[in-house]
Amino acid sequence: MRLALQPPVGDAAVDAARRRILGLRAGTKVVVDLAAVEDLDTVAVARLLTLVAEGRARGVDVRIAGARGSVHALLATVPLDLVEPARVASARPRLERLGAATLDALERTRTMLPFLRETIAGVLVPVGRRGIKWDIALAQMAQAGARATPIVVFIAFLVGVVLALNGALQLRQFGAQIFIANLVAISMTREMGPLMTAIVVAGRSGSAIAAEIGTMVVSEEVDALRTMALSPVRFLVVPRVVALATVLPCLTVLATAAGIFGGWVVGVLALELPSQAYLTQSVKSLFVADLLTGLFKSVAFATLIALVGAWRGLTVQGGPEGVGRATTAAVVTSIILCIVTNAGFTAFFYFVG
Amino acid sequence: MTSPAPLLAVEDLVAGYGERPVLDGVSFVLERGEILVVLGASGSGKSTLLRCIVGLLAPQRGRVLVSGQDMSAAAGAEREAILRSVGMAFQSAALLNSLTVAENVALPIEEHWRLDRPTARMLARLHLSRVGLAGAADVLPSALSGGMRKRAGLARALALDPSLLLFDEPSAGLDPITARGLDDLILGLKARGSLGIVVVTHELGSIHAIADRAIMLSGGRVLAAGTLDEVRAHPAREVQAFFSRETLARTGSASVLDVLER
Repeated sequence: MRLALQPPVGDAAVDAARRRILGLRAGTKVVVDLAAVEDLDTVAVARLLTLVAEGRARGVDVRIAGARGSVHALLATVPLDLVEPARVASARPRLERLGAATLDALERTRTMLPFLRETIAGVLVPVGRRGIKWDIALAQMAQAGARATPIVVFIAFLVGVVLALNGALQLRQFGAQIFIANLVAISMTREMGPLMTAIVVAGRSGSAIAAEIGTMVVSEEVDALRTMALSPVRFLVVPRVVALATVLPCLTVLATAAGIFGGWVVGVLALELPSQAYLTQSVKSLFVADLLTGLFKSVAFATLIALVGAWRGLTVQGGPEGVGRATTAAVVTSIILCIVTNAGFTAFFYFVG
Repeated sequence: MTSPAPLLAVEDLVAGYGERPVLDGVSFVLERGEILVVLGASGSGKSTLLRCIVGLLAPQRGRVLVSGQDMSAAAGAEREAILRSVGMAFQSAALLNSLTVAENVALPIEEHWRLDRPTARMLARLHLSRVGLAGAADVLPSALSGGMRKRAGLARALALDPSLLLFDEPSAGLDPITARGLDDLILGLKARGSLGIVVVTHELGSIHAIADRAIMLSGGRVLAAGTLDEVRAHPAREVQAFFSRETLARTGSASVLDVLER
């Protein structure tokens, strides 16, 4: 069959041709004759090629003939695979995909091991030629610690207020409102102080670590360090791990104090408990072990946040967009890991401690 | 040659990302005091070759020997010593954005030579003045123009007095005058005699100005190698097209008309 296209090659002409071609049986041969067409703009070429591709995908053998002059020159630059029916990629069997995913996960874990080993080795050498870069660590401490203080204190204060208000509703039924002090002091010291601080720091500093290191990967700065025989782990990761592991316990102490203060505000101002009694009760309820538990947890959280952020940053793929993904992944992963670890610690101390 | 081992020997190098090798059996040798220009279209493996030489990418097969030593087989202090004898100037310069230009150049010096800070800074300024950047020592890289950044990257690559310098696209993205300035810098470095230089470029002007020898990569293999005249005389269509600036648009892939027009 021969289909002679008449100028102008616009919507109407191409639609008419398309209806005729798509109505044909597979195997039919159609020749689109361009002999009458003097000139084609790129939109008309795209329409024509779509027509050819659709026809060929249905098994209709669509061909073009009679192109001349500028039309011929334009079509000659179009690669053939634009109109060849796409070969359907055969889906891999489910078992094979599972195997590939497992191998992939193993491979990623394997590449993580040298990173962890080098980080641990770096943290363990405090001074000297291969020692911790304290100037970088101090700058990170200021950024992740001092500048995070207001928000951490504010959030912990509110957590203390909420704990006290919720406790008051329950304990009032037994006339045991003074035990709000115990409730707030213990949960802030052991659980909420370390965890809320870790979540704030994961959002503030975990994301920053992933973004900073990720950007350096994308701009080849990390490669440049490697070519200068300087270890990216020692320059970028170790100082951040040290900084977070130092400041997070400090922030946790502040957060715990702010939370207890929040409980005190509720207890004294709203529930009219005597201030002195509230404070005495708080101190009586706490043991050194509670404080140490909280601090120990916060060091573990800090290490997790810094390692996850650094790892996500170092393994960025796909340019600036990848940095965004890595940052999100760093925050999500580290918050989940902190909460899971916290649950593990709490269960452990409940049954063992 | 005073030393038996060539400065750089690449032997049957196969390397790449994932399963498809980008380099597929590349071999060549570079002697001291020589400038080798690596030519080839985008995607022919030029940058991958540099990444292999400088140890950022481990070869899947074959070896890279710097002064006879195999970097991928070395570890620890030995590998570090090899790396220190190789300077790499990145296409994007890859300066650390949080440090000033002088701090960037001083960083490898302070870390590897354990010089006190004032001496290291002075040495960094010396290197910067050699590339004509003495006035920009105390600014952050973000404040530099493209050409200045490349020169700063070159100064950092030279900071440890390497015996092998790798330069990825020195003139890409630069105006012709700045590009010529970089060519002159490279020639000046060569004049010192002991340094071997590998330059990846596709600027014809640069190639003619600086090349002692050239290799042309195509599809991960060495298509042509030798002096510039020898490479240019190679009959392969790709080589001819490269030097005559003829378009390659129609070679290789079939167009719609080849099949559809009957």
